[in-house]
Amino acid sequence: MNAAAQGEVQIQTESDIVIARRTVREAAAQTGFNLTDVTRIVTASSELARNLFKYAGGGVMRWRGIEDKGCLGIELQFIDQGPGIPDTGLALQEGYSTGDGLGMGLPGAKRLVDELEIQSVVGKGTKITLKKWRKS
Amino acid sequence: MAPHGEIMKTQMRPNSGQKQKSAAAKEITQNSDLLQLLVDSIKDYAIILLDTDGNVLTWNSAAERLKGWKAEEIIGQNFARFYPVEDVEKGKTKMELKVASEEGRFEDEGWRVRKDGSRFWANVVITALRDKNGELRAFGKVTRDLTDRRQNEEKIKKQAQEILEMATVPVVQVWEGIVLVPLIGTLDSQRTQQLMERLLHRVTETGSPIALLDITGVPTIDTQTAQHLIETISAVRLLGAEVILTGVRPVIAQTLVHLGIDLTNVITRSSLTAGLRMALTILKLDVAPLKTL
Amino acid sequence: MNADSISVIKVRDILMVTMPPDPDDPTVSALQDKVLSAMERYEAKGVVLDISSVETLDSFFARTVSETAQMVTLMGGRTIIAGMRPAVAVTATEIGLTLGNIETALSVDRALDMVTSKPRSKKLQ
Repeated sequence: MNAAAQGEVQIQTESDIVIARRTVREAAAQTGFNLTDVTRIVTASSELARNLFKYAGGGVMRWRGIEDKGCLGIELQFIDQGPGIPDTGLALQEGYSTGDGLGMGLPGAKRLVDELEIQSVVGKGTKITLKKWRKS
Repeated sequence: MAPHGEIMKTQMRPNSGQKQKSAAAKEITQNSDLLQLLVDSIKDYAIILLDTDGNVLTWNSAAERLKGWKAEEIIGQNFARFYPVEDVEKGKTKMELKVASEEGRFEDEGWRVRKDGSRFWANVVITALRDKNGELRAFGKVTRDLTDRRQNEEKIKKQAQEILEMATVPVVQVWEGIVLVPLIGTLDSQRTQQLMERLLHRVTETGSPIALLDITGVPTIDTQTAQHLIETISAVRLLGAEVILTGVRPVIAQTLVHLGIDLTNVITRSSLTAGLRMALTILKLDVAPLKTL
Repeated sequence: MNADSISVIKVRDILMVTMPPDPDDPTVSALQDKVLSAMERYEAKGVVLDISSVETLDSFFARTVSETAQMVTLMGGRTIIAGMRPAVAVTATEIGLTLGNIETALSVDRALDMVTSKPRSKKLQ
């Protein structure tokens, strides 16, 4: 896949979460990630897409192939106009969220990817950017 | 007979000025034709001339085959057309001509672009061509397609990587239902990932409900390594298999307790033998001496 | 996709439940209802949940399965999850999914062996 590949998925209904998973699966596979990494990326995307649907009133997921010094990777963005996250530092803390061995939240997604960045304004919306690189 | 490759000088007849001139001229034309034939016949090297600004002056059939352009399409255009956009924007093509002009030659390996936009890996030599007065007249450019070689190199690198992975994280099936991982050295994050993936795969592949994880060869254990081990064990148990941690030497046992690492949910044994015995018990198997006849 | 993509088959007194490869949220939710009503109807001893086709196990799926297992326990049954894929196990472990106290088996065959024998204690020391 050349670095110019990209796309987006509108997340407005419950079934869009599945579309997001399938789109990401194919994009990640095309980038050349191994099966375990594809699974990581798809799982993280599934969580964040569901968050968009459940807590932000919908949003959009954007993906694109990225390259740095010959290394290929994938970048995913989850953008919404929802309530925003008041304390992003807290939200990313390990052990935050449910902690019953079932909840995942952002700390879990962070463990599955190489870079995770949150930009959020209370009352305006949130943008979460994920990046994962192929191990060359 | 002249040594191979040397151009034979024709015998000049004395006192035949006119004839001398035309014979010499004929030789030059003949050699010139032969050189042209040489350049045109070479299949593996695109050999072209560029003017001092880098615009294409001549073309050969290998260049057409390699880059996709026909002579009439490309002559007069700048050689920057053969380079990826990002390289041209960085000023790579100007830099190459500059170096060739200053040092006499420039050599490089990198991506080049064909007429249809596809990329190939090339070895390129650009030579500055100067006349008797030292004036730069043109550049000679010889390009070789190394895509095949690079693909082979990548394949070999990948195979070496796989072999290295197998050697550093060996997972061996020692009995039906039992796999063994004799770990040697410390566990960093990357090795843990390799370990998890390989171990889980083998467990699933062989349908082995017991994995013996032997750490006799792990010299020291810090919190990080212990966490990595626990993570691996969790993953195996999630699959439905059990892990027996063996080779827990006194020094390791002390460290684990001092670090406050909780291994109460993990079956541990001090030696591999004890671990194997445990595995057989779980599988309801027994080792018995052969009955002598 | 709908609840019909989950198959529930009675094998002796065990419920064999097979999950499709990439169930959407409504299908996952339907799992609970289907399993519990089948448990009641057949008075099953336990449930074997075959996830060998499942490619992604996120927290929603995990939570639903965990709740269902707890409910099955309350109804006097045992739940065993069978056939988890290696990539799924690695990912689940990394994000801290432990599936609580639910038992797991390498394959449906082994799960059936487990359910028809005495419950295996997880702690063998």
